[in-house]
Formats: sequence, C-alpha cells, structure tokens
Amino acid sequence: MVFVTVLLRRLLAALPLVLMLSVMVFVILRLLPADPIAMLLPPNATQADAERLRAAYGLDQPIWTQYLIWLRGMLAGDFGTSLSLGQPVAGLIAKTLPATLELVFTGGLLGIVLGGAAGLLLFGTRETLFEHVADIAVLAILSVPDLLWAILLLILFGVVLSLLPFMGRMAPGHSVPVTTGFLLLDCLLAGDLAAFRNALSHMVLPSLAIGLGFLPVVARVLRAALLETTREDYVAMARLRGLSRPRVLVNYELRNAAVPTVSLIGVQLAFLMGGTMMVEVVFSYPGLGNLMVEAVRAQDLPLIQGVALVYCVLILGLNALVDAAYTLLNPRLRSAI
Amino acid sequence: MSMADLTESAAAPPRTRRLAGLRRFAGFRIIVGGSLLLGLLVCALAAPWLAPFSPQEMDFLNTLVPPIWAQDPAVQMPGAEAYLLGTDSLGRDVLSNLIYGARTALYVAVVGGVCTMLLGGVLGLVSAYVGGWFDRLVVALTNLWMCFPPIVLSMILIVALGAGVNNIIIALVLVDWTRFCRVVRVEALVAMQRDYIPAARLLGFGAPRIVFGELLPAVAHIGATLLTLEMGIAVIVEAVLSFAGMGVEAHTPAWGQMIADARLYLYQNIWSMLLPVGCIFVTVLACNLLGDGLRHALDPRNRGMSHGR
Repeated sequence: MVFVTVLLRRLLAALPLVLMLSVMVFVILRLLPADPIAMLLPPNATQADAERLRAAYGLDQPIWTQYLIWLRGMLAGDFGTSLSLGQPVAGLIAKTLPATLELVFTGGLLGIVLGGAAGLLLFGTRETLFEHVADIAVLAILSVPDLLWAILLLILFGVVLSLLPFMGRMAPGHSVPVTTGFLLLDCLLAGDLAAFRNALSHMVLPSLAIGLGFLPVVARVLRAALLETTREDYVAMARLRGLSRPRVLVNYELRNAAVPTVSLIGVQLAFLMGGTMMVEVVFSYPGLGNLMVEAVRAQDLPLIQGVALVYCVLILGLNALVDAAYTLLNPRLRSAI
Repeated sequence: MSMADLTESAAAPPRTRRLAGLRRFAGFRIIVGGSLLLGLLVCALAAPWLAPFSPQEMDFLNTLVPPIWAQDPAVQMPGAEAYLLGTDSLGRDVLSNLIYGARTALYVAVVGGVCTMLLGGVLGLVSAYVGGWFDRLVVALTNLWMCFPPIVLSMILIVALGAGVNNIIIALVLVDWTRFCRVVRVEALVAMQRDYIPAARLLGFGAPRIVFGELLPAVAHIGATLLTLEMGIAVIVEAVLSFAGMGVEAHTPAWGQMIADARLYLYQNIWSMLLPVGCIFVTVLACNLLGDGLRHALDPRNRGMSHGR
C-alpha cells in the first residue's frame, strides 16, 4: 500500500519535470545550424518546394507555436512523423521500447548479481592482501566503458570463439507472433521453446556488456554500505550472541546495507540506461538506442525529440520505482508516510 | 561514479596498524596512474616526431595488414613490415593513428575536464555561498540534468552544435558540469558551518574573497579528484561519439573512429580494433588510478587514520 502511494506521489511529482525536459530538448534542437528539410528534398527542388514541405511539417511557424503543436500532439499520443523514415514516431518508439526495456532488465539484473558478488568479495577480503588485488581489478573493470565491453565480448565470443550470436534479437529462421513486444515473453506465450532459446542466446552478450559496465558501481556501493553497517552496535550484539558469521552477514549486515545500496543504485539508473545505447549499436540490437543513433545521423528532429523524451520519462519512472522500493526496504520510512 | 566514491570514503574503521601500508598503496596508484598519463601526454605532444607516418598517408598495396607479430611474409606485399602495428582498410598506419589519436583524446580530456571543473565548481561554490533562490535554481537545474542519460544529452547537443573536437568539449562541459556542481556544493555547505567563515565575514572580507580565498581551499581536494575522474569520462565520451560517427571531423585521427572503421573489417584484421580499444582502456585506467589514489591521499578525513580498505 505504502509502495503504491509513494510510487504515485513520485510519478505525479515528476510531471512538471517532464514538461521542463520537453522544453529543454525542443529548444536545444532548434539551435540546429543545418536545415532538417534539406535532406528530404530531391536535388532539383525549387525554393517553393522547400517552403511547401516546411509548411507541411509545421517548420514555418514560430518556435513556441511549434512547441505547443508538438506538446498538444504528444498529449494525444501523437509524437509527430519521422522525417527520415516517414513513419509515426510513436509507432517507431513502441516497436523498439520493449527491446530496450528487456535489455535494461537483463543487463541490470546481471550487473546487480555480479556486482553484488564482487561487493561481497571485496567486503569479505577486507584487510587482506587480496583486497588490494580485487580493488585494482574492480577499478580496471570500471575503466572499460559499456561500448568497449560490447566490442570485446563480440570479438571474443562472437568472432574468435563463434560461441554466441551477436546480431539482432533472433535468427531469421524463427518467428513468433508479437503480443507484448517483449521477445522472450512472446516466445513463451507462443510456446516456442526453440525460438526462446535462440532469443535468449542473442541477449547474452549485450546483457553481459551492460552488466559488466554496471558491476563496479554496484560492487563499490555495496562494499561501502557493508563497511558502514559492520560498525553498528546490532552487528556487534549479534556476534556476541554467538550467531555464525554467514548468519550475521545475511540477517544483519546485508539487510541493512541493502537500503543505501538500493538508493545509490537508483542514482545510477541514468548511467545504466545510457549504457544500453552504444551496446545496442554494437550488437545491431533493434532498440531505442539504435533508433536514437540513426535519428541523430539523419538529423531527424521529431524522432530525436521523441526518443530523448522517452529516455527521460523512463529514468523518472524507474527512479520513482526505486524510491518506492526504498520505503519497502527501510522500515523507518514506512510509518513516516 | 562520484556518488559511490564519496560515500565510500566516509566508511573508515580506524585501523592505525595498517596505516602505512594503505598510504603506500594510495601512493602506488598515484605513481602508476600519474606516470601512465604523463607517458600518454608525451606521446600526444611529440606525435609529429614519434609517429613513423602521417596519420592520413594511405598505402593501397598494404591494406588491413596485421601487426608485425601476426604478419605472414608469404602473404604480405613487400613493405608491410614497415607498419609495426599494421594498417587499416585504407592502408593508413595504425601506430601513427594511435599516437595522433592520443592527441585528440588528451586534448578533449584536459581542456574538457578543466572547463567542466571551472563551470561546475564555480556554480557549486557560489550557490552554496549565496544560498536562497540562486541555490534553489542551481539544485533544480542539476536535478533536471540528472533525468538525462548523459550520452543522450550529449548527442542532442552534438546534433545542435555539429561535429568537431571543440564541439565535443562544449557538449561535455554542458552535460557534466553537474558532477562537479553537486559534490562541490555539498562540501562547500559543510565548510560554511565552520567558524572561519563567520570569522572572515567579521573581518570584513568581501564575498569573492570568502568564496575563493576561504571556501575554495576547503573543496580543492574534491575538485582535483573529480578532475582526474572527469578526464577519464571525457576520453570515453569522445570515443563513444566518434564511434557513433558524430564526434571528430572525418580527417582527425581518433580512437573511437578507428574502432568504428575496424568494425567493418573485423574478420580480416582484429588487431586494428583491439589496439584502439586497448589505448582507451589504458588512458581511462590511468585517470581512474590517479583519481582513486588522490581521493585517498587528499581527503582530510583520512589524515591521521586509515581508509578502511
């Protein structure tokens, strides 16, 4: 109950932010020196043709009118029409968004699992020589951005070892009806296990690239939080009561360290979302990131605006979720609300 | 990154016994990271003398030549052994491009890092000192900025500004100033609670003198640490944008662009992809080592006690 209340309150509070973000995106993109219409015109087009096209896309209006038209359209679910692809932006986003969400979920999960393990390792080996080694290792992992993880994994597992596929979401041989857009889910709904395995194998490398990029963030936050709790009186008390080390770790230290860890991971969500972008490009994964890069290359303003705003809304939404999860984890906050 | 790093340094169980060893360890990181960066800086500055070829010079007889250790004399055309690290799809020398690429990367890292620090740091200091509506405005702006994945915002800015090394720097400053601003503001607010700030006011110091003479030294160590970390981020941003084809101009050698080119010929020559990847990794690692070491060495909270790591 508290969870839902907090979630709704956060989402409501995010609405004015979304409005401001939309103004920001719109204004930055209107500073563009290049003429977005120029790319659409055939080489023999006349000035009159250009004017007609400009009017058709509403680009002859003053900037605030353009913004209001865009805003009114969005409220009605119409994000405009892509200049380069000629399709509605909303449809393009709806097609790619589930793919990105799937990747954020599997990559984030892998990052939390691997990072959690690394954080426990760092904590468990504190004040030994091995800690220095592990510390440098985490720092080295931190120094490899998602883009480079994607490339290294692609070279190693895709090209050199030829173990895993590295193009797209599924091999051409398979096809499942689109019901949710989440491919793994669709495969299961269709009962097609071969397709499910194929789709899953396509997700391993991109998810691993995102997970490895997220690992050091989680590991360092968890280690710091565990070091904090281990000095608390209740941990000393539990030890005095003769509880075993694993039991103290799981029931006392980890449970309390989870609270600051979750909130700090929430701060890093934008980082996680941004990481998916280049990973998608490397693995030709048809998600939002690939769409965004294509849009930027084609200077496709309506598409860039739409995708950028969806990224922001996603981050605000995920942040609201994390905040709500935080109240579930922290009993002190439950009564306060 | 910075958020996690800063909370981490607060967790410090006192263990004086291990103090000397930890000091030495922080020193080790500063020395290794610093000398790596220095070496890269020398490479970047001396690029015209170090590079055996011009980065744009093409040799169409010797395209996609692997590095010297992977060359097969039976297959290569004569002259291939002149290219120590091989050539790319247009027959350009990989080694020379790597050396000139260091120039681009470090230029973005140093100029971009310093400008970001100046904008974010000054805003953070002033906002902490002035308070009131100005402080609220700065906080609101940083919150707004945090809704964007940094790479999305920098892409939008690059669309508006156009490609080019200096535009990458502008985009970097406009995206990443919040990293400095948030941390410096909080540290400055803590420093504002100290007695020496009212004392300086009572002595009749003007606002600029208090902000830059009294507050600045209290947050300088944070600035230095964040600057080295930001330099690593700048290298990554330049590589990512160049890889996506919206970074440097086409004729400027850059590691990200080398990766993007090599990606198309992955099966013919893996090395022309691995080598720039390695360069980016070493540069970012050097920045992170230096930043991590500096954080431990400069943090006043760590003076006289261990860091608990």
